[in-house]
Amino acid sequence: MTSPQTTPHDTHKPAQPTSIPVLRRILVYGGWLALGIAVVGATLGGIFQGGVGVVSALIGTAMAVVFMGITAGSILLANRFAGHESAIGAFFGIVMGGWLLKFVVFLALMFLLRDQPWISPIVLFLSIVAGVIGSLVVDAVVVMTSRMSYVSDVTLPPAPTDA
Amino acid sequence: MDSTTVLAELTGNIATVGYGLAAIGPAIGVGIVVGKTIEGVARQPELAGRLQVLMYIGIAFTEALAFIGIATYFIFTN
Repeated sequence: MTSPQTTPHDTHKPAQPTSIPVLRRILVYGGWLALGIAVVGATLGGIFQGGVGVVSALIGTAMAVVFMGITAGSILLANRFAGHESAIGAFFGIVMGGWLLKFVVFLALMFLLRDQPWISPIVLFLSIVAGVIGSLVVDAVVVMTSRMSYVSDVTLPPAPTDA
Repeated sequence: MDSTTVLAELTGNIATVGYGLAAIGPAIGVGIVVGKTIEGVARQPELAGRLQVLMYIGIAFTEALAFIGIATYFIFTN
């Protein structure tokens, strides 16, 4: 009679969640999209509003993409706590805390930028909307085209061996 | 004779109410998304990765409303 030899679970390094590569791709593709929107927005802003339009388009695009990307970034950061005892609490604390902080910073930025003479509010607004919608499109496309196995975050104990 | 009587008067910028309205919807939406993700992960921890991605998409679409709403408030108050 042999007893199976298994290693205790706590000696395993916990598997990283499978969302990490998807979220990384979202951030990378979002960066490329931001570049495209910034170029198009700055060109159109320059044509219609001059130098003020170029600055507004660049700031608006950067704000939209950075603030949309903070969500994915915060999930990636929170995943570093995977396997810890307080993983769930840390995960939602970081993601929701980042979300709240992001909106406070966004409000403060909008409040500061609104009355600046070197900002065109309409170009800034249109750039933010373009950046937000563009990053949503990137998110949806990346998630639809990403392949994730159905059950993948589980770490199986090693197979029992005969003594 | 005036057919309407003013019972209450609102002074200040009415667009402030717009920010409140822009915040309520996404707040409820993100609350539901995150709450349901916690439920899902508690039931099936091995699905945490997939649920995180779905949660991310839900949050992204919901927060887009908030961003556009807040930007609208600030840009069009003047």
